[in-house]
Amino acid sequence: MSQKIYITGLGMISAIGNNVPESFLSLSQSKTGIGKINHLTTRYKDEFLAGEIKLSNSDLADLVKDNNPALNRNSYIAMLAAKEAVINSGIDTNDGLRTGVISSTTVAGMGKTELYYKELFEKDDHLDVLDTHDCGDSTERIADYLGNVDYVTTISTACSSAANAIMLGCRMIKHGQLDRVVVGGVDALSKFTFNGFNTLMILDREWCKPFDENRKGLNLGEGAAFVVLEGENALNLRKGKPLAEVAGYANANDAYHQTASSPEGYGATLAIKQALTMSGLKTDQIDYINMHGTGTPNNDLSESMATVAVFGKQVPKFSSTKAFTGHTLAAAASIEAVISVLSLQNSMIFPNLNFTTPIADMNLIPETKLVNTPLNIILSNSFGFGGNCSSLLFKKA
Amino acid sequence: MNTITSYAHIKHNQVSVNGSIVFQSGPLLKLSEFLSEAYKSIGLSYPKFHKMDAQCKLGFLCAEFALKETTFLTENDLSKTAIILSNAASSLETDRVHQHSINDKSNYFPSPAVFVYTLPNITIGEIAIKHKVTGENAFFVSGQLDTELLVNYIETLLSNGSEAALVGWVEVDGASFEAFIFLVESSKNINKNSIFKALNQSSVITIYNQTKWTH
Repeated sequence: MSQKIYITGLGMISAIGNNVPESFLSLSQSKTGIGKINHLTTRYKDEFLAGEIKLSNSDLADLVKDNNPALNRNSYIAMLAAKEAVINSGIDTNDGLRTGVISSTTVAGMGKTELYYKELFEKDDHLDVLDTHDCGDSTERIADYLGNVDYVTTISTACSSAANAIMLGCRMIKHGQLDRVVVGGVDALSKFTFNGFNTLMILDREWCKPFDENRKGLNLGEGAAFVVLEGENALNLRKGKPLAEVAGYANANDAYHQTASSPEGYGATLAIKQALTMSGLKTDQIDYINMHGTGTPNNDLSESMATVAVFGKQVPKFSSTKAFTGHTLAAAASIEAVISVLSLQNSMIFPNLNFTTPIADMNLIPETKLVNTPLNIILSNSFGFGGNCSSLLFKKA
Repeated sequence: MNTITSYAHIKHNQVSVNGSIVFQSGPLLKLSEFLSEAYKSIGLSYPKFHKMDAQCKLGFLCAEFALKETTFLTENDLSKTAIILSNAASSLETDRVHQHSINDKSNYFPSPAVFVYTLPNITIGEIAIKHKVTGENAFFVSGQLDTELLVNYIETLLSNGSEAALVGWVEVDGASFEAFIFLVESSKNINKNSIFKALNQSSVITIYNQTKWTH
């Protein structure tokens, strides 16, 4: 029997707060972080809303106390969230145990590269920017910032990336390859992303309305979130306290379309069922689902179908928290892992904002007000382009 | 036992399967032309192929070559078949194309057909869609082919419910490209006459270095 895996530290920065306590405050006050674009330079500034972190790059540089010009927004926010998680957990990376960093990102250093893209063809003044362009760069920066890290890797599987980072972290501990891992994801906003999602015509110009009949699309967000995973052996050794247990996880491919989910949510159904099987939990033991719920017509219908396929008529209470943070892409699953742990700790379901009318034929109604109720098990879904579907199960510790 | 049952390697405008070169085009042919020639050589009619970006075409073809002449797709439960790929450049080649399309205000034309391919795991999606493979999938970005990571990861998967996997490296960066995909099956055993090899780091390194490229 392999050891249990616990979450022992949380760190998060997004549109709803620069750290976990601020995020909790926004969530418990039903206060969205999505609004007018202030920091990103884009032609869509007045056309679309976004979930921006409320700090400029120089504010972020001050917070990480590092003026290294090689750092970019993606690295700043990743470093801040990872450090917060480590401090929160109380682990000491110098104590001789093996620590890993597994991070995920899809845009990496694009936000900075695109500022100099034209110039780079004409002169070599900003060549150093390219050093920070790779997906692996922010992960390496986190590792340097934390110090004494034994293992580093980067995952890129679109919007389920951070869930897959959490899964890999759990497995590496279970297989004795690491004692604890800082896992999560990061994606800062960029013009690249905005333009791309706009061409796919899945951006809502108003606030997104997950699971609403009249939903028009998603709002992009940015953020970073990390959790510290520890095996029970390492945790017991230092007499640390768990915040939650990772009770199950699974990943499956929808094998249907590159950017659209299958109408019946086949991949999602597989992921949820396999995560349940792994945990040994029954469907009626799930107290709440933190949905992927992006607000696109396709995702929310497909995820609803999958939910009904797994839970039948006894669908647990559910909500999507994307209307708080926006869709933060590679960070989404770790942001929602942090939110799920906050739900477990505080016995609170955070509402699905902006919902009024259920999707015709599905009749699934999310929680639209803050609910105070004891929670023991939470399912969290994350689905990405390329058909990549992941589900995680968190249990109250 | 966990067995490598087939592998394909594409590099230097040549395709090798299980160590032997099975297709090659002129060494000076551009990547797009090479991919088109290689596609024709397998006699497949799959219109979606022509919509893919170069990295997906390359990964897709490498999988086709590795799977050809095998019983992999019929003898394994495809809902328990994983696809694990990696590379160093993520989706850089198509990122550049998308960036060009939004860079110039007077010539601004971002396209959904391009943006879709600005994620490396789309290559996995294309292979999954073609063969209805719905098992676990992950895409790692590593500096170079990380046999330790891949072998550990596959062993973990195969001890946790997965039964088979397509594994490897698919990279396009400018004019340079390489794809290397091997099939792993937990139900097969090595016998004297087969090309089958036990899955471990050294066997992966061996098959990776096996092909004698002619140019």
